[in-house]
Amino acid sequence: MGKQQRKRKKKENIKFQRYMKSKLVVFFGLLLACLCALIGRIMYINYTNGEEYKKEVLSRQDYDSQLIPYQRGDILDTNGTVLATSVAVYNVILDCKVLTSSQEYIEPTVSALLQCFPEQIEEEKLRSYINEESKRAYIVLAKQLSYDEIQDFVALQEAVDDDGNLKNPDIKGVWFETEYKRTYPYNSLAADVIGFTSAGDVGTVGLENYYDDILNGVNGRIYGYLNSNSDYEKTVIAAEDGDSIVISIDENVQAIVEEKIAEFNEAYKDNVREGEDGAENIAVIIQNPNTGEIIAMASYPTFDLSNPRDLTPYYTEEEIDAMSDEEMYAALNAIWKNYCVTETYEPGSVQKPFTVASGIESGTVTTDMTFYCDGSETFGSDVIHCFERSGHGTETVKGALMDSCNDALMQMSYLIGAETFLKYQSIFGFGQKTNIDLPGEAYTASLMYTLDNITPVDLATNSFGQNYNCTMIQMISAFSSLINGGTYYQPHLLKKVIDADGNTVSTYDPVALKQTVSESTSDLLKEYLYETVSAGTATSAKVDGYSMGGKTGTAQKYPRSEKNYLVSFIGFTPVENPELVIYCVVDTPNVDDQAHSTYAQNIVREIMEEVYPYMNIYPDEETTGINANKDITGATVSEDGSTSEGQLDDENSDGSITESEIVEDNPGGNTSENTNESNNSDEEDNSNEEDNSNEDDNPDEE
Amino acid sequence: MLFILIFLICFGLVMLYSSSSYVAANEFGDSAHYLKLQIRNLLVGLVAMIILTLIDYRRWKNLGGFIYLVSFLLCIAVYIPGLGRSSHGSSRWLSLGPISFQPSEVAKVAAIFFMAMMIEKAPKAMFTVKNIVKELIIMVPLVGVVAYMNLSTAIIIFGIVACIIFVASPKYKPFAAVIGAAGAVGGIFIALAGYRMQRIHTWLHPEDASSDEVYQTLQGLYAIGSGGLFGKGLGQSMQKLGNVPESQNDFIFTIICEELGLFGAICTILLYVLLLWRMMIIANNAADLYGSLLVVGIMAHLALQVILNIAVVTNSIPNTGVTLPFISYGGTSVSILMAEMGVVLGVSRQIKLDEIR
Repeated sequence: MGKQQRKRKKKENIKFQRYMKSKLVVFFGLLLACLCALIGRIMYINYTNGEEYKKEVLSRQDYDSQLIPYQRGDILDTNGTVLATSVAVYNVILDCKVLTSSQEYIEPTVSALLQCFPEQIEEEKLRSYINEESKRAYIVLAKQLSYDEIQDFVALQEAVDDDGNLKNPDIKGVWFETEYKRTYPYNSLAADVIGFTSAGDVGTVGLENYYDDILNGVNGRIYGYLNSNSDYEKTVIAAEDGDSIVISIDENVQAIVEEKIAEFNEAYKDNVREGEDGAENIAVIIQNPNTGEIIAMASYPTFDLSNPRDLTPYYTEEEIDAMSDEEMYAALNAIWKNYCVTETYEPGSVQKPFTVASGIESGTVTTDMTFYCDGSETFGSDVIHCFERSGHGTETVKGALMDSCNDALMQMSYLIGAETFLKYQSIFGFGQKTNIDLPGEAYTASLMYTLDNITPVDLATNSFGQNYNCTMIQMISAFSSLINGGTYYQPHLLKKVIDADGNTVSTYDPVALKQTVSESTSDLLKEYLYETVSAGTATSAKVDGYSMGGKTGTAQKYPRSEKNYLVSFIGFTPVENPELVIYCVVDTPNVDDQAHSTYAQNIVREIMEEVYPYMNIYPDEETTGINANKDITGATVSEDGSTSEGQLDDENSDGSITESEIVEDNPGGNTSENTNESNNSDEEDNSNEEDNSNEDDNPDEE
Repeated sequence: MLFILIFLICFGLVMLYSSSSYVAANEFGDSAHYLKLQIRNLLVGLVAMIILTLIDYRRWKNLGGFIYLVSFLLCIAVYIPGLGRSSHGSSRWLSLGPISFQPSEVAKVAAIFFMAMMIEKAPKAMFTVKNIVKELIIMVPLVGVVAYMNLSTAIIIFGIVACIIFVASPKYKPFAAVIGAAGAVGGIFIALAGYRMQRIHTWLHPEDASSDEVYQTLQGLYAIGSGGLFGKGLGQSMQKLGNVPESQNDFIFTIICEELGLFGAICTILLYVLLLWRMMIIANNAADLYGSLLVVGIMAHLALQVILNIAVVTNSIPNTGVTLPFISYGGTSVSILMAEMGVVLGVSRQIKLDEIR
C-alpha cells in the first residue's frame, strides 16, 4: 500500500528525487569550477603574456599603413600651356585570398576581368594565380591603365538593379591602386629642355632634373599609432602635391623653331653623306635680351619624351641589338643631350663683335681707325690668311665687321692687347658657366687662354672666334648684353613657381648680373651689326620689312684636315629696341661645301618669318623684296610653284655669286702655314683659312 | 531568467556588430550584414521560444522516439548529394529549399528529449550500471553519425547524455569510468579523421605547426592578452580588423576580452552562471521528473557549449568549432538555443507556487 502510494505520488507529483537534487548541485558546482578555471586561464594569459601580446597585436597593424601618392607638379610654358603633367593611372590588383574564399566568386570575376581587360590580362595567367597562389593578397594584373580604361569594370562592379542591390555581387577581390604617370602632351617638343622622369618621379634630364625638388611633393600615408593612453588611433596624412613651374619657353615659338629645324634636316638628309642627318647638330636659341629669359631652345637630334629610351628612330634593330649596355647608354646620352648648354665648340666670326666692342670700350680701338687688309698676317713661320686671300684693302671698323675681315680683326687685337682682350672675354662670360637653370652645363675655362699661356697667334685667332671654345648659351647671353645697352642678364627658364592650388609661391625676376659695355658702345655695335645684315655677309637672314642686326660665323672644326665646319648666325630684332635675340648653329652640314653660314641664316629667316607675326612684332622698314619666296634651302620658290636652285651666296641682295661673298662667311678665315707642324697638332691652333677659290694656290691649307 | 536571457542576447548583438562590422563592410559592403542575419535568426528563435513556452512540455513526452528518429535521418541526409552543403572542409549543413541548417544542432535537442523520456519511463534503471550502459547503447547510432561529421558536436551530445544520466543516477563511481571512456572514444575518432589530427597537433606543439594552423588560435590569444583589465573599449578591437579569422563566430569571446578586458569576460561568464543557476532552480522545482530532466539536459547543453568555447579560445583544449551560446553568429545554433529556452520557460510555467519546497 505504502509502496503503491509512493508510486502514485511519484507518477502524479514531483518525481525529482532528493538524490537528484544533490547531484544537480554537484553538477552545477562542477560547471562553476570549470568556468572559474577558465577565468583563471584568461587571467593567466593576461598577466603572463599580456604585454607581449599587446605589442604583438600592435606590430600586426602594418597593413593599416598605406601610401597615398603625391602628384608631381606640372611644367607650364609662358602662356600656361601644359608641357609636362602627371595624370592618375590605375593598377589592377587582384586579392586572390578574397577571390578564392568562395568558389562562387571565381567564375564571375574571371569573366568580368577578361571581358573588361582583354588586352592586359591573359586567362591562363589568371587561372594559374587562382590555382597556385590563392593565398596572395596582392597581385598586379595590369599596370597604369587610364581612368577610362577601368570604367567598364567599375561599372560592372557597381551596377545595381532597381532595388539597389548589386547586380554582380560575386565579382570579388579586385581593386584599383592609384598612382601617377608622367605624360608629355607635346611628346618631343622641347624634349632637351623639359627632360623626363624615371620610375618614381626622379627627374632624369632637363628641367625635370633641375627642378626635381620643387616638382616633387611628399607622399601621404594612412597609418595607425598609439596615443599616450596606448590607444590605437588611425591617422591620415594627406599627400602634399608638388609645385608646378612656369617657364619662359613659348610653346608656339618652340614649335616653329623645331619645325624649321626638322625641315632643314629633311632637306639635307642623305645629301652627301648617305645615312646621315642634315647636319651633325642643329641648334637654335631664342632669348629675350631684356630679361635673359629663354623663349625657345631646340636642338636636333631630339627624342620623344613619352618614350625616351626608344632608339629605333636613330638606329636599326640590328644595331640596337648589337649594343652593349655601355654603348646603349652612350647612344641614349647622345640623343638626350641639350646641345645648347652641354656642348662646346669654336664659335667663329660671331666673336668679332665682341672683339670690336672690347677695343672700343677700352679705348684701344676708335671708330675713325682704318685697317689695311692684305689677305694675311704672318707670325714667324705661321701665315694666317683672311678668307679673301687677295685682301679687302682698307677697312674701317664697321667695314671689318660687315665684310667679316679677319686681317682687320687681327690687327685690332694687337691694339687691344692680350690682357685687355682676355679681361673682356671674361666680362662677357666666356670661360664661365652662365648658371642657367639646366643640368649639365659645360665648363669651358680650360678651353680658354690665360695671360700666362697666350701667344700672339692665339690672340690673333681668338679675335675672330677660333682657338677657344664656348657654349651656345654663353654666346647668346653675352650677345644680348652687347645689344641691349650693356646689361648682362642671368639666362634662365624659370618664371614662377605655383602650388597645387594655383597660388604663386615665388616669381623669378630678371637678374642683371653686370654691365659688360657702355650704352654708347652697345649702340655703335647695333648699328654695325645692322649694316652687316643689311649690306654685309648676313643678308640671307633678313626677313623683308623687319630690321635686324647680326653676325655670321663659319668655324673650321678640329681636326682641321677634315674640312668640317660649324656655321652659325646670331642676330637681334628689331634693331631699335631689340625684343628677340636668335642664335642658330649648324654643325657640319651634310653638304659638299660646308663653309657657308647661309645654312644657319636660312633657318633663322624661316623661323623669324613666322615668329614675327606671332610675337606681334610689326614691320619697321620699307620692303625691298629681299629674300622673297625663299625656302629653307635658300632656293627661290616662284609664284607658279617651281623652285630655282638655292644659291649659297645670295647674301648679296642682287643675288650674284662672287668669290668674296663665299669667303665672307668663313670666319676662321686664316690659314696657318702647314710648315708649322706643331701649330697644327695643337688643338688650339685652329684656324685654317678656307678659300675655295684659292685652294690650289695654298697647298698648305688644311 | 527571461531578463538574463534578453540581456545576454542584446549584449551578444552588440558584440557581434562590433566584431563583424569591419569584415562585413569589407566583404559585403554592409557593416551590419552579419547583424541583420543574426537578428533574423533570433526572431525565428524567438517565435519558436514563445510557442514552446505556451505549449505544455508534457506533450512532447511520447514524441521522444520520433524526434530521435527524425534527427538521425537528417544527420544521414547530410551525406546525400544535393542536400548537404560543405563549409570549412566538413559537410555539416543541410539545405532544404531556402532553409539551410545544421542537423547536428537538431541532434542535440533530440538527445535531450529522448534521454528525458527514457529516464522518466524507468527512473530506477539508473540504479544499475548495466541499465545505464543499455541506455547509452541506444544513443550510439546518433552520436556516431554526428561524430563522423562533427566531432565537437558529438562530444557535446555525449556530454549532455552523460550529464542527464549523472543527475538521474544516485551513483558517483561509474562516472569516473565514463569520463575515461569518453577520452578513449575521442581519441579513436581523432585518429580516424585526419584533419582533426592537425588541430590536435597545433594545440600541443604550436611552434611546429605552420603559421596557418596556429594562426587562428594565436590571434585569439593575442586578442585576449592585449585586453588588459578593462579592455580597449567597445569597438576598439584591433584584432577584429581581419586578424582573428571569423571573429564574429567561434572566436567572438576573444574580441569581448580585447574590447572589454578581464572585467567584461568575467561579467559575461557570470551571466551564463546566473542563467544556469536559474535553470537549476527550475529543474529542482519542476512539476514532474520529465520537466526536470529536460531542463537538466538543456542546462548541460548550454554549459558545455560555454565551457568548450572558452576553453578553445584560451587554447586550453584543441581547436574545435563550438559556438558561444547567444553571442556567436550562427543561424541554427542560436535558433535552437532560443527554442530550448522556450522549453525551459515552459517547464517553469507549469510550476505551482505552493509546491515549491
